[in-house]
Amino acid sequence: MAGSALRRLMAEYKQLTINPPEGIIAGPVNEENFFEWEALITGPEGTCFEGGIFPAKLIFPPDYPLSPPKMQFICEMFHPNIYADGRVCISILHAPGDDPMGYESSAERWSPVQSVEKILLSVVSMLAEPNDESGANVDAAKMWREDREQFNKIAEQLVRKTLGLPPP
Amino acid sequence: MPVALVDRLPLPNLKVYTAGSVLLLSVAVFHAVSVTSDPNWRAHTSLQRQKVMAGEGDADVVKVMQEVRTSSLNMSTNGTRNLTEQFVEVMTFMMQEPLCMWTVINIAYCGLALFGFVVQRLVFGRLRVAEAQRVKDKLWNFVFYKFIFVFGVLNVQYMDEVLLWCTWFTLLGFLHLLAQLCKDRFEYLSSSPNTWWWAHARLLGLLCFIQVACCCLLAGAVLAGLPATRDTFAFMAAECALVVVGALHVAARYVLQAASVDAAEPLAYYTHLCFDSVALGVELAHVVHMVVYSNMLVSMASLVLLMQLRHLLHALQARLRRHRLYTALASHMSRNYPMASKEEVEKNQDNCAICWEPMKEARKLPCSHLFHNSCLCQWVQQDASCPTCRRALDAGAGAGAGAGAQGAAAGAGAGALRLLDDGPPPPPPRHPGQLFHFDACAHVAVWGAPPPDAGRRHMESDRLALLYLSRRSRYVSWLPSFSVEVTRVRMEPLAGSQIDAMVRQVQAMFPQYGAGVLAAELAHTRSAALTIDNILEGRLPPPPPPTPAPTPPGLYTPLQQLLTVHSGRSEWSQGESLLKNKTPTCIVFTRMPNV
Ligand SMILES: [Zn+2]
Ligand SMILES: [Zn+2]
Repeated sequence: MAGSALRRLMAEYKQLTINPPEGIIAGPVNEENFFEWEALITGPEGTCFEGGIFPAKLIFPPDYPLSPPKMQFICEMFHPNIYADGRVCISILHAPGDDPMGYESSAERWSPVQSVEKILLSVVSMLAEPNDESGANVDAAKMWREDREQFNKIAEQLVRKTLGLPPP
Repeated sequence: MPVALVDRLPLPNLKVYTAGSVLLLSVAVFHAVSVTSDPNWRAHTSLQRQKVMAGEGDADVVKVMQEVRTSSLNMSTNGTRNLTEQFVEVMTFMMQEPLCMWTVINIAYCGLALFGFVVQRLVFGRLRVAEAQRVKDKLWNFVFYKFIFVFGVLNVQYMDEVLLWCTWFTLLGFLHLLAQLCKDRFEYLSSSPNTWWWAHARLLGLLCFIQVACCCLLAGAVLAGLPATRDTFAFMAAECALVVVGALHVAARYVLQAASVDAAEPLAYYTHLCFDSVALGVELAHVVHMVVYSNMLVSMASLVLLMQLRHLLHALQARLRRHRLYTALASHMSRNYPMASKEEVEKNQDNCAICWEPMKEARKLPCSHLFHNSCLCQWVQQDASCPTCRRALDAGAGAGAGAGAQGAAAGAGAGALRLLDDGPPPPPPRHPGQLFHFDACAHVAVWGAPPPDAGRRHMESDRLALLYLSRRSRYVSWLPSFSVEVTRVRMEPLAGSQIDAMVRQVQAMFPQYGAGVLAAELAHTRSAALTIDNILEGRLPPPPPPTPAPTPPGLYTPLQQLLTVHSGRSEWSQGESLLKNKTPTCIVFTRMPNV
């Protein structure tokens, strides 16, 4: 029921504003519609994405938290676990019955105890440590494995792009 | 169907329509006034009237005519003619003249449209796109079915009867649409964070208005229908009852929400069950009555009626099945997961992990994690594991206890299978509400645990397919599941031009996909909407290599197609071997109602 979804989302928003995790800002796009959020994720330090600010949007289903939200970066990304259209491929965003690749155990998948904060933290750690086994972006996975230097170069360009800087 | 056709008709907007109607009316009134003020006409009509009244012979006619003429001449020249008299004359003239009468009817419709506009402005403000679309669909469906009813079932012959029925259905349809709008708006309001109390107050006011108006219509039915025939009265009363039940249902939801009764609680569940079954029952009786009454041979009308009957029966069946599943789930929960004792709840400081709200009473899982009863109930339908520690909930725990529930569910599952075997899946639910699952899950059979392509099986209609897909991932894994080979129905291949058009449509949204892949995918799904959904859900693999192997669609199973597209890429070898192990079967699971 949407009422409980709404209460839960409001509680999460409150918690995120009172006690924001480092490097993450998230909230509803407008206060009229709590089922669509925007998040800003800063690239984790010590990685090739360091310094970048990556915007993403989250769409929540009416039966949240029983079903996971959908998350999509709205800036250009080049990462083994992010599809070309920006959708994020991490296991906690997959519904329990849903297993597109066939090798996730159900323990890694969505459960109502997860939250926006946990999703965003997982995305940060995904940025830091790509999982090249699930190939959402095959080219990126290949480059990550075989030509790290080139990968870092592309990542740096993306970081500059998100900050509005001209390419070096 | 008819909706799609009518949708393309250019309808004038309200302003133009009102202006046109008023113009027409004024022309008609002008015409009427000019005709009625003509002494000749007055004499003529008075003469006719007298003739009819007296039925006299021709001898006096000339005399009477002259009398009337002089009197009317006197009146008009003296300017003493009574205004009301003139008005009555104009009105009678307009009622007799067909063209004038149509303009009057038109202005009545225009007035209703304006009234509807005012109500919409007052109560709803700007309509959301979804609401407007729903109202439009509903309107055309209503018009279509009532047309069938008037001309197919009642077989009305005379113009005045047609007009009476038109008036009746116009008023009824108007209330119907308002009730639909109320329902949609209530769902929207209950899911938006800061709604003002007056938004609710206005909605409740409108609901009351609908009820009162329906009672008036019912009174009209008693006055007009009962003297005619009992059948007519029954038809009219059933229509009224449907609107009343719909409006009452929304009101009941308000009450439930105000009392903050959770949707999973028995009280709410049985309220919804009650309303749903009453509405379905009345509608079913109504359609059966129509079929019996018309007693017709095979005609378009009977075909439509039978289709509607079938739809209603399926809906009723699905509703009953959901009820069985609900009771099965409830008994399973109460037998296997006891309510936590008071001390346990007090000792537990945490909120419910599902809704993040404090617990006054809770259910305890074998792993001793506590949750609200309703929260747990909803989660268990999706996944039989503890949300917190992910420990699988074993169905066999209480061997005897679970058996009853499983038996019931198995029966329902078998029913679902039969449905699938019989042919097309049941029609979409009558109220595909997004917020109340009680409305949304008339379907119990879902395509579960898909191999990568299972979701892309072709279906009869896009909407249905989407509905199935969206529910695909939910099932109760502790209930027996059925794995069935679904024999693939061979469908006529789509024409190349159709596919090309759809490819362009999809490519406009996802330029990164090549035309070849999309064509193959579309040949398979046969629908652009389904393909887009597949892409969004990630079932269609990311953009292929520049030269996809050209494979004639239809020769390969979709799985093979998928593999062909990716052959020659080392990255996919792992996935490929995984995919190969899965035979392209369709697994049908039973799904618990989303309570
Ligand atoms: Zn709860
Ligand atoms: Zn547990």
